[in-house]
Amino acid sequence: MIYGDRNTGILVQGATGRQGEFHIGLMNTYARQVGGKGVVAGVTPGKGGQQVHGVQVYNTVKEAMRDHDIGASVIFVPASAAGDAIMEEANAGIETIVCITEHIAVHDTMTAISYARTDGCRVIGPNCPGLLSPGEVKMGIMPAALFSRGNVGVISRSGTLTYEVVDELTRAGIGQSTVLGIGGDPVIGQTFVDVLEEFANDPQTKAVVLIGEVGGNLEEEGAKSTDLPIVSYIAGVSAPPDKRMGHAGAIVEGGEGDARSKIARLRKQGVPVASRVSEIPDMIRDLFRCHC
Amino acid sequence: MKLREYEAKNVIREYGIPVPAGFLIRSENELPAHLDELGDRIVLKAQVDVGGRGKAGGILMADRATAVPTAHSLFKKEIKGLPVQEILAEQRLDIQHEYYLSITVDRSSKQPLILFTEEGGVEIEITARDNPAAIRKAVLLPLMRDIPPFMLRDLLGTAPKEIGAVINKLYRVFCEKDALLAEINPLVMTPCGVFAADAKIIVDDNALGRQGFTVNRDLTEREAEAEKHGFSYVELGGSIGVIGNGAGLTMATLDLIEFYGGKAANFLDVGGGAESERVRHAVRLVASVPTVKVIVVNLLGGITKCDEVAKGIIDADIPQKVIARFAGTNEAEGRKLLSGEGYEMLDTMDLVVKRAVEATS
Repeated sequence: MIYGDRNTGILVQGATGRQGEFHIGLMNTYARQVGGKGVVAGVTPGKGGQQVHGVQVYNTVKEAMRDHDIGASVIFVPASAAGDAIMEEANAGIETIVCITEHIAVHDTMTAISYARTDGCRVIGPNCPGLLSPGEVKMGIMPAALFSRGNVGVISRSGTLTYEVVDELTRAGIGQSTVLGIGGDPVIGQTFVDVLEEFANDPQTKAVVLIGEVGGNLEEEGAKSTDLPIVSYIAGVSAPPDKRMGHAGAIVEGGEGDARSKIARLRKQGVPVASRVSEIPDMIRDLFRCHC
Repeated sequence: MKLREYEAKNVIREYGIPVPAGFLIRSENELPAHLDELGDRIVLKAQVDVGGRGKAGGILMADRATAVPTAHSLFKKEIKGLPVQEILAEQRLDIQHEYYLSITVDRSSKQPLILFTEEGGVEIEITARDNPAAIRKAVLLPLMRDIPPFMLRDLLGTAPKEIGAVINKLYRVFCEKDALLAEINPLVMTPCGVFAADAKIIVDDNALGRQGFTVNRDLTEREAEAEKHGFSYVELGGSIGVIGNGAGLTMATLDLIEFYGGKAANFLDVGGGAESERVRHAVRLVASVPTVKVIVVNLLGGITKCDEVAKGIIDADIPQKVIARFAGTNEAEGRKLLSGEGYEMLDTMDLVVKRAVEATS
């Protein structure tokens, strides 16, 4: 597993909002099942002293850090406040920051990520479902019921498409080490390259499913950067140019970032690319066969 | 959202970047009042929201005598299917040299990226292919307020210093206007100094509110209707309507339709946790496209409940058949609700899509 384990204490920013409250409940249900620490503190400015599902809420991240051992955070605050939330956590010294919030202005994201980088912390997202390491830890909103523990890492720019892939893997008897959504925005913190580096140093992970989509070229950069065996799937073969396909970052611009050329480049790099999600489990089995 | 040329030019003019004398007109009758200021060499540019406007006949040259009839004929035209309602009438520049300047969001470095080349006058994609070294690049830390002088010197090469001032000003525009792209192409040198002959600014859709825009003009009527409900929606011209939860899953459903030889009519992502009321709106919107013969619903319920979605589909009460795949929360209840006539429930997205393609071919 990467970016944390059952012993990682998690802080939730936006703890008293509808989303924050709902997902603190789910994350801590999961933590109880696996014997993990789960969410140990919440932050909502002005709501310090309240409790959410038995979790203490603080006014600031620094106050929460004084009382708890916190290694990661999950952000659910509204878009206009999310850049600030990332910077507050980086400033307080939190190592891993998962930002679930969607619709953050790109300039806010650029500033926040740039600032967080100077503090040496790792931002996952924004506009992402977070991560789940089966049997260890859930940081974010992924539906735990579909997951099973194993040796395959999954990295994706998407949410439900990731769950679809995980569902296929689990049904096929292929368990996962860590499943991580890096986010659907044009500017994101941890990219395929960063996450693949983490996976390369993770003894549990033997192969990776890399789920990309139209827009940019981060998939190719990622695949090029690692020696890990990879199976890829790229969504958006049928996406017309200059249309945002749901995610802010899923857009073919100036003839760049279209799915077909992405797939061609990945295949040229020797990465098998599935034409359909349902082909992925068999392709993973083939990989293991070649590498055993 | 893409600003129109005259809007982009108004923005950069406010920041002190010289633009040619010009006037926005909505009828050729408004033109004579401006002829004295425009002089004898005039260019008429249709302000339509499409790319490749010049090649499509949207930019016409004129002189004092021909300006009014030329504008008249341009107002009668359609550029790539769009009527010409506004024309920017500008003084034509005496071009000595053309440069290319753009500032974008670089996904790789997660920072603003400035591109500048002295070899303007050619499409930038062609320069990038044939002479990539001619395109100079600078990556800025978003925390910087100004471009450091050493970076400017590197960018400029042998280009005159006054262009450095334009680059600095355009960087301000880029930062303060929440731009995803700020481009001047061409940036031209004339005997009277440097001018932005064209300007393009794309404002981040997620920042439209704080930039003072109330509507996103890039959206079609149905896309705008979808946005009101918080859906992502794109039209694609085929006969299979597509609804999913989550952008990636919905996109993968479209791709599967193409894989099996079908053609999707549209893409609608209802997002997470949709209740029956939202689903009803979504189904009606997708069904309202005249070419839609059948609708595919691909649902992977985490926080979305399958029975809520089933209720929404039934409440929508549309003439087209709905072929659905439900997985996840309250799956059994959802399947039971959708067992009536006009609905078909299958187990996987492959099966659902295959069935829809058969039904439309």
